[in-house]
Amino acid sequence: MESQNSATFEGLLKRGELIESTSEMTPDYLRELKHTLIVSGDTELISAPAYYLAARKAPSVNAFMTAIAIIQDELAHAHIAYHILEELGESQEALIFKRDPKAFRYPYAFDVPLESWTELVVANAMYDQAGFCLLGDIHEQCSYGPWKRGLVKVMAEENFHLRNGRNWSKRISQAGGAAKEELQRAVDWMFPLTVEWFGLPDDLKQHSAQLEYRLKGLTNDQLRQQWLSTVVPFMESIGIRVPAHKENSHYVLDYPFPCTFDAEEKHWDYNDPCSWDDVLMRWRARGPRNAEMVALFQESFAKFQVRT
Amino acid sequence: MSFSRLFHVGAGPLEARLWSALAEIDDPEMPVNLVDLGLIYGLTVESGRACVRLTFTAMGCPATEMLMSDIRERLLAEPGIDEVCLEVVWDPPWTSARLTADGREALRAWGLSV
Repeated sequence: MESQNSATFEGLLKRGELIESTSEMTPDYLRELKHTLIVSGDTELISAPAYYLAARKAPSVNAFMTAIAIIQDELAHAHIAYHILEELGESQEALIFKRDPKAFRYPYAFDVPLESWTELVVANAMYDQAGFCLLGDIHEQCSYGPWKRGLVKVMAEENFHLRNGRNWSKRISQAGGAAKEELQRAVDWMFPLTVEWFGLPDDLKQHSAQLEYRLKGLTNDQLRQQWLSTVVPFMESIGIRVPAHKENSHYVLDYPFPCTFDAEEKHWDYNDPCSWDDVLMRWRARGPRNAEMVALFQESFAKFQVRT
Repeated sequence: MSFSRLFHVGAGPLEARLWSALAEIDDPEMPVNLVDLGLIYGLTVESGRACVRLTFTAMGCPATEMLMSDIRERLLAEPGIDEVCLEVVWDPPWTSARLTADGREALRAWGLSV
């Protein structure tokens, strides 16, 4: 029975058909799907407190509203992922409110605080662009039907976040002077953090179950290139320097990748290259604001539980 | 495009060009441009100064500044325009009846019943 199921499942995947229910899945596929959804849900969820802390620095009421609308979108996107996880047998409550902060699976970038309006809009221009590349790929390629369909609205909304990021980055750059210098400083530390967001380079990643199961369609390096091909020309067009350039048909980084990062100082040391093991160690240890960010949405949960 | 039939009647070539420019700006969250969405109530040009009367779908719209900055930037990119004034009005209020046929079609195709 098990092998028959497995053969039917392989057939569905090979023919490019969509998987619609757990009864069609193999245990390995289910595990990999849940893992991919957790990373996506956690990333959307943590962006809410991270963006909120910076949104408070908005320069106008309407700009504050834009930021809050973006945060609302991110929470709704997280909700889609956790809702699907619940249908796959996980407990939303346990995932969101009962996990240790270090067990969350979002990119390290969100552990480094966004402390100004400028840093928030750069996050919209670069972090949301990363989200756009990753989710766009899942939206196009994902073999799990319910998630693929759920992403239609998500893509439209991520576009709004990107537009806020680009619109404001351009305005700040045009203002020149100290405002433009602040923008350049934000890009200087946030650019390499987003480059590493896409994970290990393909030559170090031996096997990808996500690709095999068509949970996504592009490799880490392909997605990284896609991100570079939008962010580098945009930043250059508004007069902001980025440490990458185009060579023939692809983008090349102008610094050792990876290299060491001082999260407290928000500073990359291009003279101190490191190994991917060092990066993985930094990611696992999490960054300065991990516990605080998670606490922002976890702390009141227990207080309002109805005791039965 | 349907907006051209609706709005270009009597408009000079410069005005027509500005309407087309405005139709290049999409709503931030829905795949429909500002003209087809019915947000632009009027447009006049006098010696390089373009004045746009417009509204938003709701007073609490979180994208008003973003849209006004996009409109200003796009119109200033047109030859012959060196000043843009934007007048936001709430009367008459926007309703879905202000969508053009193309706008309605775009939103339907996207999955919104209008």
